[in-house]
Amino acid sequence: MVKDENESANRPDNTAFTQQRLPAWQPMLSAGIVIPGFVLIGLAFIGIGVALFITSRSIQVLELDYTGMEQDSPCFRCSNADLRDCVCSIRFSINSLFEGPVFFYYGLSNYFQNYRRYGVSRDDNQLYGDLTYFKKPFDQCEPYRYDSNNQPIVPCGSVANSMFNDTFTLFQNVNDQQVVVPLDGKGIAWWTDYNIKFRNPSITPLRNAFNGTAKPLFWSRPAYELDPSDPANNGFINQDFLVWMRTAALPDFRKLYRRITEGNYANGLPAGNYTLEIAYNYPVLSFNGRKKVVFSNVSWMGGKNEFLGIAYLVIGSLCVVMSVVMLIVYAKFKFPEED
Amino acid sequence: MLLCSTETHSLSYVETADIDGETNLKYRQALGATHDELTSEPSECRLASFDGVVFCEEPNDGMYAFRGQLHWRGERFLLDNEHLLLRGTVLRNTQIAYGLVIYTGADTKILRNCGKLRAKRTRLESSLNRAVIGIVVFLLLVVLLLAIACGVFASRVMIRTEVLSALVINGDPVYTGFLVYWSYFILLGPAVPIMLYVTFELIHTFHSKFINWDLEMYWPQTDCPAQARNTSLCEELGQVEYLLSDKTGTLTQNRLLFRQCCIAGEIYGDASVRAEDTEPMDLTWNPFSRGGLFMWAPTLVERLRAQRCPTISRFFTALTVCHTVMAQWKEDVPVYQAASPDEGALVGAARELGWVFLSRSRDVMVVSEMGVTRHYKLLALLDFTSQRRRMSVLVRDPEGSLKLYCKGADIVILERLQRDCPHQESTEQALELFSQACLRTLCIAVRSVSETSWEQWSKTLARAAAMATFDRNALLEKLYDEMEQDLQLLGVTAIEDRLQEDVPETISLLKQAGIKVWVLTGDKKETAVNIGYACKLLDPDTRLLEWQELRQILQSPDPVVHFLKIKQTDLWAVEKEKAGVQTAVVLTGPELTEFDQRPEWGVKFMNLAQQCHTVLCCRVTPGQKADVVTLVRKHTSSITLSIGDGANDVNMIKTAHVGVGLTGVEGGQAVQNADFSLSSFRFLQRLLLVHGRWSYRRISLFLRYFLFKTCSFALVHLWFSIFNGFSAQSMYETWFIAFYTAFYTSSQILFVAFFEKDVSAENSLKWPELYKCGQRQELSGPLVLFASLVYALYASFVLFFVPCGVYYNSAVDYQTMAVTVSMAAVFTANIEMVLLTRNWTKFNIGAVCVSLLLYFICSRITHSKFLFQRAPADYLFYGASDEAFTDPVVWLTALLTAWTAVLPSMTFLALSVIQNIHGKHKVHSRSQQPVELRSQFGRKTSLCRSSFVVAQGPV
Repeated sequence: MVKDENESANRPDNTAFTQQRLPAWQPMLSAGIVIPGFVLIGLAFIGIGVALFITSRSIQVLELDYTGMEQDSPCFRCSNADLRDCVCSIRFSINSLFEGPVFFYYGLSNYFQNYRRYGVSRDDNQLYGDLTYFKKPFDQCEPYRYDSNNQPIVPCGSVANSMFNDTFTLFQNVNDQQVVVPLDGKGIAWWTDYNIKFRNPSITPLRNAFNGTAKPLFWSRPAYELDPSDPANNGFINQDFLVWMRTAALPDFRKLYRRITEGNYANGLPAGNYTLEIAYNYPVLSFNGRKKVVFSNVSWMGGKNEFLGIAYLVIGSLCVVMSVVMLIVYAKFKFPEED
Repeated sequence: MLLCSTETHSLSYVETADIDGETNLKYRQALGATHDELTSEPSECRLASFDGVVFCEEPNDGMYAFRGQLHWRGERFLLDNEHLLLRGTVLRNTQIAYGLVIYTGADTKILRNCGKLRAKRTRLESSLNRAVIGIVVFLLLVVLLLAIACGVFASRVMIRTEVLSALVINGDPVYTGFLVYWSYFILLGPAVPIMLYVTFELIHTFHSKFINWDLEMYWPQTDCPAQARNTSLCEELGQVEYLLSDKTGTLTQNRLLFRQCCIAGEIYGDASVRAEDTEPMDLTWNPFSRGGLFMWAPTLVERLRAQRCPTISRFFTALTVCHTVMAQWKEDVPVYQAASPDEGALVGAARELGWVFLSRSRDVMVVSEMGVTRHYKLLALLDFTSQRRRMSVLVRDPEGSLKLYCKGADIVILERLQRDCPHQESTEQALELFSQACLRTLCIAVRSVSETSWEQWSKTLARAAAMATFDRNALLEKLYDEMEQDLQLLGVTAIEDRLQEDVPETISLLKQAGIKVWVLTGDKKETAVNIGYACKLLDPDTRLLEWQELRQILQSPDPVVHFLKIKQTDLWAVEKEKAGVQTAVVLTGPELTEFDQRPEWGVKFMNLAQQCHTVLCCRVTPGQKADVVTLVRKHTSSITLSIGDGANDVNMIKTAHVGVGLTGVEGGQAVQNADFSLSSFRFLQRLLLVHGRWSYRRISLFLRYFLFKTCSFALVHLWFSIFNGFSAQSMYETWFIAFYTAFYTSSQILFVAFFEKDVSAENSLKWPELYKCGQRQELSGPLVLFASLVYALYASFVLFFVPCGVYYNSAVDYQTMAVTVSMAAVFTANIEMVLLTRNWTKFNIGAVCVSLLLYFICSRITHSKFLFQRAPADYLFYGASDEAFTDPVVWLTALLTAWTAVLPSMTFLALSVIQNIHGKHKVHSRSQQPVELRSQFGRKTSLCRSSFVVAQGPV
């Protein structure tokens, strides 16, 4: 026996692994599976596409450009960058009920919030309320780290510095009277941003925390006075600030400004004439940018998005077309003698 | 140089197995002068005072030629190959041999033949390298363009944008562009698959292990598994197009068996039974019997014992007398040392049947015939040469009469028979029968010589022997010819050259797989051709294209046309298309040397050889074997595989793309230098068709997938840069970039590279045609790699632009889009994986599931509150996946993106599935015809018989 063992000492192990005989499932693909598979997937895509398209169609959108590039635009006057505290108003009418809740966005185009050095120019530790970074902001914030007096800027960096500062007031014109449409600015930012990511230092009153710091160069008011009407909506957890700080993905974007959920307008904007009063502060003309406001209602898929539905339809139809081509190829191969 | 030895006439017997693969004994003789002078007294003193000077040629690699002169004591002696003992040969039957060293070290002939060691790189690896270099060049170019674009953007847009202008570094767009150049360098870096090289090695190692572990390639007799000695050549095994094989020890076992004979027109023995199954005969009456006779012929034994038939007696006397075998006595039984294995087999068979060759001295041969010891006086030995193809002995038998016993190739003997020789017709029929069974045949004949003619002849012989070299040979030839006339045919012997197990089956399978099998051997042409027929490398219909004809073809301006013309006029070429396949080229070593002088022939020859069935190269030195391999490598882009077992194959093994060594009897030199070692030739089918094919497929898939996943992943940044001012903004979270290659897409491709098989091992062997896919580089050619890169570019395009289209002009933030794109990238990589995998083991399924799961888990972890609170600046994406994973639009976008990205590959797969139905049918119907292994020798035998009925004698 010992000899036997010695003789086959080099014998490889007979296991499923070493002999490459691991049990395996080998799906046998055939035309009978592939072609119907393609048809099914194509139909499913078309189905989703139709659903998306219909949903998207039902969403009402109203876009108003107020850049003021054109001579006849009511905001043409304000587009001059030298003018301070310029107010212009745009009139528009709604023909039928704009169903609620209506979301009120401001939109910018040709604006590169996703420029890398712009996007990283912020101090998340500072924004998390860490006071050590109030004194010595993150060096990525350059050149918006210290002001000319060498005081640390809080909040530092490009993103905060360039915060959008146009403000809007919406009026409905009822019998020559302008009725203010109440705008709801609560909960427009992400929950995580509002509750965790951005924290004010736990010093009361808030302004003491900002002692020895400077406000961003482009800001007219310091961070702790962003919203004079609501003391809780100041500092880093100001909703508008939060929305701005969540940088956009692409150079044409919109950001939520307010929601219309209150009073007579909870069910939407009724048909009628409206006036939008704009405090025009934010310069965009220098880089061929555009500014606009967008009113939109939402569905389960969020805002209006026709691209997704159409893309689904296109890809789905492509699959179906492909399966027809396959069927022809299959017929050609299956019955070659008939050709 | 041999000066003298202790044997008579200073003969030395050598075995040259390591040099030319022949295991027979050859003799080398010292110069007469040195022998006489140096052996007369105790050699040591004489040798010490030896003061000859040798003038010889420069060291070279010619194994069979040497020219030199010995100047000694004022005389000049010519030296040639016969006086040399080469390094690498083994001295046998010689106690002491004294010699003079002529070449040493690297100048010796064997080392001159050794060739250089070179690191082998696979074809796939080099095309991979080319692909990677292509990617790098492409990236450098793209990065440069992006940097320039960045500079332009900085100067045109940013300067005018209030919020961005301060971000132009030092206000200098050029400098900004320069910095962005490096940022993009880092960002697009992942497209260069550096990880691939590491993983590549791991996969190679595993594939080699699978070869080592294969029980089907384990040889229980010697307890020897197959071994992959070079772990990086596995996929090359799946692309072999030229198999260059040694003969001795590789195709044949080098064991010759006496299987049949025909005496006086009557056939004894049956070769249709396998040698192992032959019933052993009762030979206990013979005290000299040692077994080892695989022949069943009781009638022959009966007749032998009765001793009534004189022809039978004379037949066996011829066997025992007419040879150059030496007998050694061990334990009262003679052990034969044969210069030629054929002779050993014949003398051995005669011994078993009672005609025992006992010993020989210089001029007497002692033979025991059925127990009666008889002394034959040896008068002359007319030795074998490859031109004469026969040998004879002239003996005076104990009764005093003179007899010439002759054996040789059939056509040589048959034309020298006396008129109206009895049994000629029946013997010729027997010859035909034997050759159909692929047996090696020798004709045995006898002639009675009168005293007067002998005296006259011997005088002329003595005179001739004294003459100068050149004339002497011609004269001897004539003399011998005179003597070997008027022969009386005794019979025919049939010897089987045992092939290794399953050699014909293996060769036929490999041929079906599109592999061209060439045989390179140091043996004689006849032997090689004979083996070619035996192992079904040559069909009986195959037309042998020999040197004269080949030369004409090569000299003609357009060889292929000329070749076809020759074939059309050819008698045997029945069909035009078939003719090319049915032609084999036979070359010998000296003819090959002409290729060195005419390099332009190489191309022509290879063009021709591609049309031919096979090429046999005989009498080639190890160096020439390698030259042939180089020739093939140089003029075709095919992968070559050399297989051999001896030291003479080392060079060829090292030169070919893949070298396979057989662990056989001829020592370990071949194995030491080989990339793979096997125990038997037949394992080659499994090594190539199963392991090679799988390995090729796995590694090709791995490679393509790896290129696809890294490029499609990284090139997204290229498209994104258009939308972010060429600012080197990343489309992914930093953590995702790190995890993508490490966790989300690594394990599943690794398991595919380990376990993937499209066809089971059994079916791979059943449908050898499947192997051709590797030869044509269907899975890994430059075009295929380029296509997968283009596909990757397309996928990256889709990965960016579909989400971009969805999110354009919407309220979606950068982080959500990053999560969407990364989700789509992971989906794409995994769907592509699913499409690739044909063989779903639990590891594959597990890997895909775990990878997808890991993506979600890791995303949740890196986007978690816990980590964010520890280091807010490092975990910026906190909250992004919370929002994204609950948003239906993100899911729908990711799904759509992934599906669109894999759509081309999906369509391609579907189309190939549909076309394959047809292809599989073809394979099915073809494989239903049983593989014809026993070829029919009925037709045209008479035309080709002469080429494989050959005597093998001492060289």
